[in-house]
Parts: sequence; structure tokens; C-alpha cells
Amino acid sequence: MSESTSIRPRRRTGPRLAAARDALQHQREWFATLRGQTEQGRPLALVNADAPQELFRAMDVPYVVNQWWSSIISAKRMSGRYLKALRERGLPDDVEQYSALPLAEALSPRGDDAPWGGLPTPSLVLAECTGDSMRRMFQLWESELGVPFWPLESAAAETVAVNWWELMRHDWETAIGSARIDLLQDELKALIPRIEELAGARFDEERLAQVMALSNEQAEWNRRTRDLLAAAPRCPVPVDDIIPAVMIPQWHRGTSWATAAAKSVYDEVSSLVGEGRAVVPEERHRLMWIGRGLWFDMDFYRSFEQSHGAVFVWSMYLALAADAYARYGDDPLRALAARFCAFRDQMYTPPWSVEWYVKEAKTHRVDGVVHLISPDSRSSWFTTHALRQAGIPVLEIRADNADGRSLDPRAMHDQVARWIESLPDQSQGC
Amino acid sequence: MRPIDAQQAAAALRAAHDDRALHARQFAAQGRPVVGYVGCDTPVELITAAGALPVRLAGRAGRDTSLARTYLDGAVDPQVVNVLAAILTPEDGDPVPDLIVITHDCDASLQLFYTLRELRRTGTHSCPPVHFVDLLHLPGEATRRYNLGRLSRFADQLAAWRGRAVNAAELAEAVADHDAARRARTALRKQRASALTGGEALRWYAASTAMPPRAYADTLTAALTGEFTRPEGRPLFVSGSTHDTTDVYDALEGDGWLVVGDDHDWGDGGDQPPVGEPTLEALTDHYTREVVPSTARTPQQIASAARGAVTRSGAAHLLTYCRQYDDAHRWDHPARAAAAGVPAALLRDQPYAGLDLPALTAQLAPQEAQMTR
Ligand code: SF4
Ligand code: SF4
Repeated sequence: MSESTSIRPRRRTGPRLAAARDALQHQREWFATLRGQTEQGRPLALVNADAPQELFRAMDVPYVVNQWWSSIISAKRMSGRYLKALRERGLPDDVEQYSALPLAEALSPRGDDAPWGGLPTPSLVLAECTGDSMRRMFQLWESELGVPFWPLESAAAETVAVNWWELMRHDWETAIGSARIDLLQDELKALIPRIEELAGARFDEERLAQVMALSNEQAEWNRRTRDLLAAAPRCPVPVDDIIPAVMIPQWHRGTSWATAAAKSVYDEVSSLVGEGRAVVPEERHRLMWIGRGLWFDMDFYRSFEQSHGAVFVWSMYLALAADAYARYGDDPLRALAARFCAFRDQMYTPPWSVEWYVKEAKTHRVDGVVHLISPDSRSSWFTTHALRQAGIPVLEIRADNADGRSLDPRAMHDQVARWIESLPDQSQGC
Repeated sequence: MRPIDAQQAAAALRAAHDDRALHARQFAAQGRPVVGYVGCDTPVELITAAGALPVRLAGRAGRDTSLARTYLDGAVDPQVVNVLAAILTPEDGDPVPDLIVITHDCDASLQLFYTLRELRRTGTHSCPPVHFVDLLHLPGEATRRYNLGRLSRFADQLAAWRGRAVNAAELAEAVADHDAARRARTALRKQRASALTGGEALRWYAASTAMPPRAYADTLTAALTGEFTRPEGRPLFVSGSTHDTTDVYDALEGDGWLVVGDDHDWGDGGDQPPVGEPTLEALTDHYTREVVPSTARTPQQIASAARGAVTRSGAAHLLTYCRQYDDAHRWDHPARAAAAGVPAALLRDQPYAGLDLPALTAQLAPQEAQMTR
């Protein structure tokens, strides 16, 4: 999902969100400042997207999100060159590339053409040991580059309450179960002294409480935006506009800027809905895309608007920002642990992922789902099955989203077009 | 069990390997339950203490896995898909467990658990009840505390399942039996290179996961008193993916290799020190710190272990074998190869129970030529 920030606006037919423009500009300025500060000796943390960044925020240690930086490398078309550095060391250049790109950059010779001037060498790398490769991959920061790696466990639950999206905000203890929260909370307590060392300051629980409050408020704005888009009679904003406008503030969670940015997205969308704006004036098919985005062909999503009156109305990025982050509670450290200890399950692990897609499909009144199954997709049979059980048509496409070579765009376009033509036409009142 | 001679013992080990349901059927015939498990860090003593026979679920080459592949798709080690097929549609010779226990030793095991949980929840397919024991392996105290909680929960689940808690005497006996099996396995590890083909050693190891532990300890100990001569073949150390069948070893040895050592958990890598004390705390320490799945080891740990094992076994070559989708081992291949100090090959994307022999030769030949120059 972090790949989303690499999206560049292209052909424009619908309204263009000012919030997306502002966010992109903010991101550049922020990064330039950060580079300047690290040159002057300030510490820098590199943190995986599903690890508790808020702890660094609360202690004023600047951090970069690993996958966001990967998206910048990809957008600047530097992935191939950097991955070569892995290959030359006999390391895989085709396993979890998205998490590996910043490491690959750090192992590559520094060039003048590094994206945004290049990522300064971090003082600490933090990641959860998900899957089989993360621990080994991140350990290379330490063994090859001397950058300390702090691993966190990635625990899994035996049983979970299905309706996580209803429970998570307040009753996360029930949704997740105490054991996993205890574990991450204990790990965070062990991590705090290390961050204190970096920060040269003591951890202040009050400050973390403020960060959590701001990020919860940001999540509420995202929720309102999502609900607004779900309920709007016609889709007012193209999905590729919403994604950067929502995602960039996610990397700044816990700041007033990010909360204000999320509010401005809501305000903007809300006035578009008020004006009765629509991406497709005669909206005949509302579609949902499940799976990674087609980063090599973003125009794909817009290409059925004129021809078929079909519009993609849902993005996982906004929906997760709406449902997956908010955690209220008196103990900010425990609430933070609860935000991340089951984070990936929300989108990847059945029954959570499966039932959540069904719920989102229904609330967004979609007429069909395009389900992209990439080679590393999980539980895709269950997702498709549950949607069809709920009466929602599903088109399955098997492809590797990161790699344009694995499918023929023309053929895929035709396949989706034919499938859309087979759907009931909403404008005829079916 | 009657004392048996070395030859009979070897035949008994082979039988337990060739028919993995042999002992399970005997247990079932006595009205005792069988627990099928997946994961090298399964706390088998708790299962034994609860009066059940723990049998590690294994795949079989040539099995029809299309239904299993439908549910468990994505980049998942085909070995685990094969195990799922055995659970969904058992064939002759597959143990039919009353309960399945899965641990978090690697992503494939976790995905198998999620798949079975979802099949049961949605009523898509009937299968035995499944327990998941989420044991983790970072060195910190937080992990140890978490694991202690997982083990006590699992003990409670087993108690509820059989209707009675495990008592101290049962746990003590189970720990003693499994420790005896561990000691016998360690003796096998030390002797194998000079005594057995790799395929035979793997059969003897595999028997430990399908037999009652005390019977295994006695049988293996008896088998190891036999007279051995060192088998022929170019000594090779095998690292990377697990081998739950001997197909790959048999193919290698048919080609003139001799597998003298390995570090996956069905083979030498399953070597464990004894647990000792029959307490949940001791089991927690054991399964947190002594039994560390390869996915939880750092490349440095793997490299130094490989260096030691290659030296001890007298291996003159190293193979990192990666099944399709089991790519994690590729991250530590360079460090492992460098530490081993012998010609090393990496075979990736290998099919379940198969390997690309010409590719192995092609990778090793130039390195050998360079060494003899
Ligand atoms: S899985 Fe989603 S949240 Fe995690 S890094 Fe990838 S995109 Fe970001
Ligand atoms: S071989 Fe690979 S898949 Fe199998 S247990 Fe080891 S890490 Fe997991």
C-alpha cells in the first residue's frame, strides 16, 4: 500500500484535489529539511510501515518509512540499478524487493542522481519480523553497513473476533487478545531506552498521548472521508487522487500537519459532493479493486470511465486509513502496541481481511470487484468466495503488479471491459 | 519393548519411515488419540503427556495437490500444500489425526493454519480440530514471557480436549522419553557421516516423528550398535529448505554424492539438547532458545553453524537447496558459502521432492576447477 505514493498524476479528466498537491509539496520540503538535519548530525531512524513509528515521533527522532522510500526509488526508476547491488553480493533481488530497496540503495555506490538527494544513512532500523525473509534481510543493515537493526516479533493469534472494524477503536483488547498486545508493549518498553539514547532525552508518556490523540483524530477524518465517498450518490473523486492525499499524511501521523491534511481532504471531498461533482456524470458501474495497485499502468483505473461509465470507487489505502489505525485508551503505549501488533492481519489474514472486503464492498454499493491475485497473494480463494457468496460479481486477474512484463495490458483491458459489459447496468435501475 | 538387534532395529526405523501411519494405527487400535503436528518447534512432550501420539505431518511426492492448491494458493512452499492435501483427502498410509497442532516456525506453517481455520469457519471443508501454538524466537525477555503464555494455553487446551489435565508424573515421563529420543538423535548425528547414506540417515531421523519417543530412543540406540562401513560418494552438505521425504537425497546419492550432513530440521538441524526439567518454564526456555527455526536465525548464526557442521562431517561441497517459494534461505547463502570454505551451489525454485542435478554440477564444476588449479 505504501507503493501508492509513487503515483504521479497523469491524464486529468475529473477534479484534481488540492490536498494531494499540497501533500506532495509538503513531502519534498520535509525531506529536504530532514536531510539537512541529518547532515548536521541528527539521528535518523528507518522504520518499516507496519512498525510503531509513533514512538520516534513522540521523542522527536526523525524517521523515514522504509516502504515510502522504496516508492520514491521506484518512481525515480532507480530500482533496477539498486537491486543490482544485492545481486552482485549473491543476495536475492526478487524477494520482498519493496522492503529491500532502501537496503539495496545503501549498498550501492552513491551517485549524484540519487532520488531526492538520497536517503541519509540511518542510525537505527526498526522492523517486525514478518514472513521468513524480514529478519535476515534487515540483519544485513547491521552486518553489511554497521547500522543497528532492532527486530520486533510478528505474533499470530489462534482465534480472533471477526468484526475488527467495529471493535478496534475502543475495544481492541477484545479484537486482538491481550497476549499479543502484552508482547509488543513489552518490546516497546525495551526499545524506549534505545530511542532515548538516540534522542538524548527522556521518554515522556504525555507526549506520546498527544501523538496518539492527533493520529486518532487523523484516522477519524479519514473515516469521515471514506464514509462520505461510500455514501455519495456518484463517485466525486478519482481513486488515484485520493490515494496520495491520504497516504502522505499517514507517514506524518501524530503531527498537527497530518491531522490538518486529513481534515482538508475531507473538506474538499465534502464540497465536491455538495456541488454534485462526479467523475463520470452517468455512473453505470461502481467497481472495487482488491489486491496491489497496478503501478505500471495507473491510467488503467480511469480507462473505463468514458467507454463504460464505470468508476473505481474504493481504495484499500483510504479504507485502511479509515478503519485500521484508530486506537483509543488511557495507556498510550498499550494503545500504540494495539495499533501495530495485529496490523497486517487487518488486510491480509482471514477472517479479518475477507469479511472486511465484503463489508466495504457492500457499504460502497459496488457492482463488481476486480481481484488482482499476485504471486504472493494470500487467501485469495476465500476473498473471492466470500464476495460471491454475498452476491457480488468478482473478476479474478492473476498478475504480478510490480512487473509490467507479466501481463499484456491490452489483453487485460479487454478482459475487464468484457466483464464490465456483463454486469447489470445500474443506470437502468437493475 | 523387547531388546532387538541392530538389524531388526534398522528395519523398524525404516518401517516407521516408509509407513508414517504404522504407529498411529497401533495407537488408534488401542483407542488412543493421534495428534498430527506441523512445525519443528512443536512442544511434543505436552502431546505425549496428554496420552496421544505426536506424528509430524509430511508430504509425499506425486500426490494430487490441486484441491489444496486452490485454497492455499500464493507463494507458499509446495511442501505445506502437499501436507494440506494429506489433511483434506488422506490416502492410504497417511496418518489420520484426531487433532492438528501447528506452530509458527515459518510463514508456510502459519499460512497452513490460517487456511485450515478459514476452511473450518466457513464450513467449506471438514477437517480435524486445529490448535495453533504461536511460539516466537527473538532472544528478548518479552518473547520468553509470551511463549510461556502460549505453552500454558496449549496445555490447557490439551486438558480440555482429553477431559483431564496433564499431571506432573505424566509430564515428567513425557519429557524423559523425548529427551531419550533427543539423545539418540544426537548420537545419530555424530555417527551418520561415517555410517549411513544421507537417505538412510534421513529415514532414521524421520522415524522419530512418527514413533512413540521411548520406542524410538530404544530402537535407534540399538540400530546404532550395528557395524557400518562408510558409504561411497562425494561428501556433500545440504542446507536450505527442509526435506520431509528422501526423494532429493536419493536422487543426489544416485548421482554419486553422499549427503554427510544437513542443517534443516528433519535432519541434523532437528538436533536438540535435552529439556531436563519437566516444567512449563523449562519447556519455554527450550522452545524459545534451543529450538530456533532457520527463519529466526541470523545469517551469521547460520554461517557459523554451517562452518562447524561442514568441518565435522567432512563435506567437500555445500548445496543450498531452495524449494519454489521458500526463498528465505537465499539471504544467507553468500555468508554460509563463504563460511563453509568449500565449493558451494545454490539451487532455487526447486519443485517439491525434486532437484535440478545438471544445474548443481554446472555450478560446482568451475569452482572445483579453480580449486585444483
Ligand atoms: S503491507 Fe501495506 S502497510 Fe505494510 S508496508 Fe506494505 S503497503 Fe505499507
Ligand atoms: S524449509 Fe523453509 S518453509 Fe520449510 S520450515 Fe524451513 S523455512 Fe519454513
